[in-house]
Amino acid sequence: MCGMAWEGYATMAFAPIDETINIDQLTRDPYSIYRRLRAEAPVVTVKSIGRTLLTKAADTRAVKDNAALFSNNDPNTPMQRAFQAHTLMRKDGEEHMRERMAMTPTFSPANLKTLWIPAYEKLAGEYLDRLPRDEVVDLFPALAGPLAARILAIILGIPDATDEEMQYWSQALIDGAGNFGYADEPFARVDACHAAMNAMVESRVPLLKAEPDQSALSVMINAEDPIPFSQVLANLKIAIGGGINEPRDSLLTVLFGLLTNPDQLDEIKRTGNWSTAFEEGLRWVAPIQASSRCAREDTQIRGVDIRKGEILMTVQASANHDEELFEDGHLYNALRPKSPHQSFGSGPHHCMGTHLARATIGKIMLPMIFERFPDMQLVEPEKVVWWGFGFRGPLSLPVKLN
Amino acid sequence: MPKITFVSPEGGRTTVEASDGDSVMQTALANGVEGIVAECGGAMMCATCHCYVDEDWLARTGTASDEERSMLDFAASEVRPESRLSCQITVTGDLDGLTVHLPDAQI
Ligand code: HEM
Ligand code: HEM
Ligand code: FES
Repeated sequence: MCGMAWEGYATMAFAPIDETINIDQLTRDPYSIYRRLRAEAPVVTVKSIGRTLLTKAADTRAVKDNAALFSNNDPNTPMQRAFQAHTLMRKDGEEHMRERMAMTPTFSPANLKTLWIPAYEKLAGEYLDRLPRDEVVDLFPALAGPLAARILAIILGIPDATDEEMQYWSQALIDGAGNFGYADEPFARVDACHAAMNAMVESRVPLLKAEPDQSALSVMINAEDPIPFSQVLANLKIAIGGGINEPRDSLLTVLFGLLTNPDQLDEIKRTGNWSTAFEEGLRWVAPIQASSRCAREDTQIRGVDIRKGEILMTVQASANHDEELFEDGHLYNALRPKSPHQSFGSGPHHCMGTHLARATIGKIMLPMIFERFPDMQLVEPEKVVWWGFGFRGPLSLPVKLN
Repeated sequence: MPKITFVSPEGGRTTVEASDGDSVMQTALANGVEGIVAECGGAMMCATCHCYVDEDWLARTGTASDEERSMLDFAASEVRPESRLSCQITVTGDLDGLTVHLPDAQI
């Protein structure tokens, strides 16, 4: 139902078309482009990506909150092919709610408090203990990636999946979902991962039927009125694709922000306001930078005509730097008077892992890591490369711990 | 149009006009009332629209449903018997004059 004819629309009231911006620029340095777009063309169709970008905070939010007018169902992306399924992220209304609700009991406050947060705390201690002292260590592969993978494997109910497997699957799903060029290799790689993921999940089913627990897999298969097993698999894969790199990237981003602003770090150590430091990291570089929606009807945004079927990219990364809300939004500032960011999305698809991420990274990991390594130093921060258009974060975080 | 008063943690009062059928959360956002974040836009997924209904009004607004109460467990500030998610309170003529108190923090 979504998808539109491009030809035949040339009237000025439609969004201006930008023919200069390309995906490579958006991957390397999106923020300078978004700053210009917010000022000059906050609703703009970028020809190279075939989508209309919304870069102002009020617009990104209004579109996501109006699910009746803006659908998540954009069939013209490689996501369905990559996931071998139509997933909850791309569904609307009751169908979306039914699949989402199947997984929500796992994320209940009671489970967070009694199971997942204590489990994370123990794991965080173990992973920190393992880090080598007195030599340069890259916290991306040594801490942030594997720890995010481990806690997720436990919560999802597939604890036998190794850190390496979880991260490899996750990256394959992401590369497949981002394979807009429809090249063969990413699809072949993700297909092989599906075989491995399915086998892993299926091997756990009899065990969890016999001895149910609060993991996502168990909750879904033991429900009174379970969703089809194909959607159980799809839900787990969305969580694998979307539950590792955001916690990983947000942790690395906050650490970078604090370590490059020692005066702020000192103040946060004094006040214990680690959650604020975490929120500011999420604002500064949103781990998921943009989310697509599809207009169900002809409509208008900021006086610009939007056609039925038009794909809108709500760029929360840009919303989080909007001059109307933030002064010097391009700078990390843990002492900023708090201002709401949109990094967890909004509306019915608001991130399911929000509370988990806030509790684990903001409340446990940040105080713990600075308590263990009070003199942690970044090594050559100017060499850290930031990368990504759909997902964004630093590609490495080399530090000296003592 | 029904009027709704928001009381900040410091005691400041802001009275705004609401539209019938809007939620109290939407009324706050539409009028720029600070202290309601509403990250999920009213989908009962976030608990960042927490408020305390003034005791005089509890009988008319009602208390939180079970589902709402379990989401309230995520709230950043203390949850009390009069706690509600403001996205779950629909404004009607009956609620003209409603007063709600805002918590210290939503995140
Ligand atoms: C014409 C080119 C491209 C277009 C139009 C495009 C557009 C998009 C859109 C609309 C999303 C979905 C965001 C959402 O709704 O959640 C997305 C996600 C993503 N894209 Fe691209 N993209 C393009 C090329 C690429 C390339 C070349 C890469 C990687 C090298 C890439 C990597 C990603 C990733 C990792 C995601 C997140 C996947 C997910 O949804 O889970 N994209 N892209
Ligand atoms: C800092 C960490 C995280 C960030 C910034 C983040 C961000 C997001 C965003 C922006 C969306 C909405 C996408 C859209 O609107 O199209 C989303 C959805 C989602 N997230 Fe997260 N996420 C994080 C951690 C997690 C974790 C740890 C999990 C799982 C355990 C998770 C599970 C999900 C799921 C299942 C959805 C889909 C919800 C739906 O479509 O109804 N997220 N996340
Ligand atoms: S706005 Fe999210 S629960 Fe009310």
